[in-house]
Amino acid sequence: MNQQMQKKPDWGLSYGELVWREFFKSRLNAACLIFIVFLFAVAVLAPFLANDKPFVIRIDGRLHFPIFANLSASDYSVFLAAIVGLTQLRLIRRNRRKIEPSIRSDVLWRQVTISIAVILIGTVSAFIFVPRRLDATDYKSMIVSGKASGAIFAPVPYGYGRTDLKSREQPPNREHWLGTDDVGSDVLCRLIHGSRISLSVGFVAVGISSVIGIIIGAILGYFGGGVDFAGMRIVEIMMAVPTFFLIITIVAFFPRSLLNIMIIIGITSWTEDARFIRAEFFRLRRQDFVRAAVSLGLPLRSILFRHMLPNGIAPVLVNATFGIAGAIFIESALSFLGFGVAPPTPSWGQMLSLGVSTTGRFLWWLTLFPGLAIFFTVLTYNLVGEGLRDAIDPRLRKAE
Amino acid sequence: MSENGDLLSIEHLSVEFFTEDGAAKAVQDVSLKIRKGKTFALVGESGCGKSVTALSIMRLIPEPPGKITSGKIIFKGSDLLSLTEKQMRRIRGDKIAMVFQEPMTSLNPVYTVGEQIVEAIELHQKKTAEQAWADAVEMLQKVGIADPQQRVVEYPHQMSGGMRQRVMVAMAISCRPALLIADEPTTALDVTIQAQMLDLLDHLQKEIGMSILLITHDLGIVAERANEVAVMYASRIAEVAGSDALFAEPLHPYTQGLLKSLPRLGLSVKRLPTISGTVPDPLHFPAGCKFHPRCPIGCNDKRCQTVEPELRKVDWWGKDPTLQNCERYVACWYAPGYET
Repeated sequence: MNQQMQKKPDWGLSYGELVWREFFKSRLNAACLIFIVFLFAVAVLAPFLANDKPFVIRIDGRLHFPIFANLSASDYSVFLAAIVGLTQLRLIRRNRRKIEPSIRSDVLWRQVTISIAVILIGTVSAFIFVPRRLDATDYKSMIVSGKASGAIFAPVPYGYGRTDLKSREQPPNREHWLGTDDVGSDVLCRLIHGSRISLSVGFVAVGISSVIGIIIGAILGYFGGGVDFAGMRIVEIMMAVPTFFLIITIVAFFPRSLLNIMIIIGITSWTEDARFIRAEFFRLRRQDFVRAAVSLGLPLRSILFRHMLPNGIAPVLVNATFGIAGAIFIESALSFLGFGVAPPTPSWGQMLSLGVSTTGRFLWWLTLFPGLAIFFTVLTYNLVGEGLRDAIDPRLRKAE
Repeated sequence: MSENGDLLSIEHLSVEFFTEDGAAKAVQDVSLKIRKGKTFALVGESGCGKSVTALSIMRLIPEPPGKITSGKIIFKGSDLLSLTEKQMRRIRGDKIAMVFQEPMTSLNPVYTVGEQIVEAIELHQKKTAEQAWADAVEMLQKVGIADPQQRVVEYPHQMSGGMRQRVMVAMAISCRPALLIADEPTTALDVTIQAQMLDLLDHLQKEIGMSILLITHDLGIVAERANEVAVMYASRIAEVAGSDALFAEPLHPYTQGLLKSLPRLGLSVKRLPTISGTVPDPLHFPAGCKFHPRCPIGCNDKRCQTVEPELRKVDWWGKDPTLQNCERYVACWYAPGYET
């Protein structure tokens, strides 16, 4: 008996793990996921990939580290979030096998809460304590003039906010691999920094819309009847409004900031999610395990979000990947029309809009490269969404 | 009406479902008493209202379209129907638990069985996660699952139907309820597993001292396991009796018909007798006694066709007076002792 007590139980494969395996059976899915990871890496490491300041420089015999000295508060927040996120992923993998099953979910909740707290506190304190520096020193001319030496620059040695009137509207060349725009900024550099905007717009907007959609859909689907009737009419009214024009109208009233755009996209695109979740909950609430959960006296919160939601979230997950693609698209379109983020903050759609210069020339490199970036990102997310749907579907069919 | 030894008594319960075609009376004027530590069986054909009665006890009737229109359900001295939803949640799972018919779909596929058992224990018994987990392992052992240490971390899809049903029972008894409602607990199981399952319920009943409300259409199970039986027909109770008394001397013509249509060991017949006709549609019940169109006695009787007999206590014990261990109720004008 004692020996049996000490034997480590062998955990079965969870639903999530089965879907994960199914997903990776396709090479295309794996490639798409790798591309997304690559995009994330680029976004997180943007200041180290494209920066007009060198990593190290020797001025008057003393070593300076201008990149690190010039990191902004948002850079620090992004790094912190990335590090905490990676740690969390590692911990979740480890927990599956090493933590005692009895306290596993408690431990997970504690870790997630701590992670979120760390990110929040870190972000707030970064914005409070990291001073806004405008280091306008032109390190390149210092090297040319011989004042400084031994500099190591980032692979793309240009800043996204720097204007250089001597090199305006240049097509791709050796200096500027993807050319320059109307104020002489390097296109590659702006593409790299723009990935942050596009990815964060996608994730935050979809996060907001999914949360709203899930909560509303769950309530409509679970209670049904009059609640559902009233709710669905509201959803239908929302769906009848042409979202894009609504967004343009709202954006016109609020300051042009990234956060506003994310929130506006989020609160106008939850209707799909609400309808998916409602349909799923209609199906689920009649299922025996939900009735069993109710008959155990579990609170409504647990029944809705612990027992029903994981069984009905598949369509929302799939929709989220399409939603991310859609949000990137909307942001690009808004920026193209001039309602997006304000320059010099780079965004792919805004760069696209510069393709036709004020002099009337068509600057193809300003259209092609951001266009390709948008195209591949949206395509990858759509492919991941479809891969996810295929990975979930056969499991559902087997479970029937 | 509540006497000593009664754990739960249902008094004049009526439930209606409001559909587009009109109100369907799913349960009409049902009264019954479940004694402490005993097994009470509720028997009847599909659609006769036995599951609705059970769901009413748990207050799980979907509203709308359903509604409990009248009656009381007294459990330990308080009326369950007058409790708030919050008070009711404290009783569900803790004092009254339920086992559902279909073991394949009654467990949540995304959690291990341990996680599902632990949630109720943590909620009702205010135990820490470690204690609750230890309890879950103990419960699995109690319901006869081999290697509970291993099984507790497995997912439902890794288990057979019989094992899942055992897990369902473990979940239901994890808070040691006073009443266990088993809604056709063996219908979906293999015959060999059925007996095991019922033995298990018997064993747990003795150990925990709980009452069981056994809902079934299988008279064989009733004869073997139940202390008392209520036979339901077309949303009403036709007859209530101790199970020995019922099988020895059924009073209601419907019960008599049911028992006659059972195959008997050692008796060879070419064709089993059946009850002619079909169950009436709950939207259009016949006037008078609902059984009269199919009844060999009452089909031509004026009173049976017009006046519905209510459920009355009778003192009629037939040949064997030792069967007087339970009260007897019947709803039939022609039952012996009904009109005295």
